[in-house]
Amino acid sequence: MTASTLTSTPGLSGSQTIGPFFRYGLQWEGGENAFPKDAPGEHIDITGRLIDGTGAAINDAMIEFWQADAAGKFGGPVKGSASGWARCYTSGDGRYNLHTVKPGVVAGADGKPQAPHILVCLFSRGMLKQVYSRIYFADSDANAPDAVLKAAGGRASTLIARAAGKGKYEWDIVLQGERETVFLDF
Amino acid sequence: MSKFHYRKTPEGVHPALNSPDYRSTALRHPKQPLIAVPQSATELSAPKFDQTIYYPHHDDLTKQSEGEPLGERIIVTGRVLDENGDPVPGTLLELWQCNSAGRYHHDADNHDAPLDPNFKGGGRVLTNDKGEYQFITIKPGAYPWRNHENAWRPAHLHFSVFGESMLQRLITQMYFPGDPLLGYDPIFHTVPTDKARERLISKFDLSVTKPEWALGYRFDIVLRGSEATPAN
Repeated sequence: MTASTLTSTPGLSGSQTIGPFFRYGLQWEGGENAFPKDAPGEHIDITGRLIDGTGAAINDAMIEFWQADAAGKFGGPVKGSASGWARCYTSGDGRYNLHTVKPGVVAGADGKPQAPHILVCLFSRGMLKQVYSRIYFADSDANAPDAVLKAAGGRASTLIARAAGKGKYEWDIVLQGERETVFLDF
Repeated sequence: MSKFHYRKTPEGVHPALNSPDYRSTALRHPKQPLIAVPQSATELSAPKFDQTIYYPHHDDLTKQSEGEPLGERIIVTGRVLDENGDPVPGTLLELWQCNSAGRYHHDADNHDAPLDPNFKGGGRVLTNDKGEYQFITIKPGAYPWRNHENAWRPAHLHFSVFGESMLQRLITQMYFPGDPLLGYDPIFHTVPTDKARERLISKFDLSVTKPEWALGYRFDIVLRGSEATPAN
């Protein structure tokens, strides 16, 4: 027997649903702000609705966002919080409201620059594990060569937030149907 | 030269998003296949938290109110590891649960069981340098839900863990050994294999148990592990 066959590796823990009643335990004051008010960069608001297979709003989900700062760096120190991370709960009409900063450029797995984007990690009752997606920006001129948008092919537009006035964007998450959002497997 | 990335999640561990026995998945699972893309710096990083996020009695859910909550006091301890067996230090665990009567401190929970004014049911803790954590809490009750006729959730604690990257992010549930409801619970059974289901059941541990005070349970949480492969 070789050393490697003697060494047992612990098995992964399986995922389970967040369920409907997480609000008290997962409360996060100011969670919808990914950065402090005085963080450098262009401050923006992103809003949208989370929609199920009948077009109905999902009002009991938690959405986390993770992104680089305006300079393309992750996780700069912010006391008591974590810059670049946000946690939103969907409201009665399925809406979330994220306040953040336009992310800078981050290298992709191939070393080439990716278009500015935000990682989305969605948890909900009725979902047994998280699903990942990304938000890109309609007014960015870096989208065309982006590897993830290319991989999304004809459905790439579901990853792109619409410009909705100065510093405002809209991006919906649709779980099923014609405009089903692209979800990513890493 | 090698490049850091996480290995693919093996089959038989995570539930399928489309799990018809858990009815709420029907309208909430993507129908299109997920699109496989390479892991980049965005996914290979995660927020880091420090102790400034602690509130009073953040890890002792029995002391967060004026009086003592009703129910059976328990100690829950364990380690957060990755698939390689390496500890995950300094990572944030969040815990939430119902009270000993099976009722959550939540406006939408209308189960006909009493609220406990001395139990809210939330806690958070950072793992130590060996990846260890500990909570003191109350054993949660079972409660009914409307998935099917006479459906009851087995007693469980909800855990949220960050890990060192957003690809290790995990939300799961910890169950209790010997619970007869485990055999009937569609959510527990969405985990596809016996082995993987067993890992979600805590173990009673006499060495964690404190004499004349509280029973102890051990629950380890294992997150995705990395592998280094030669670059092409």
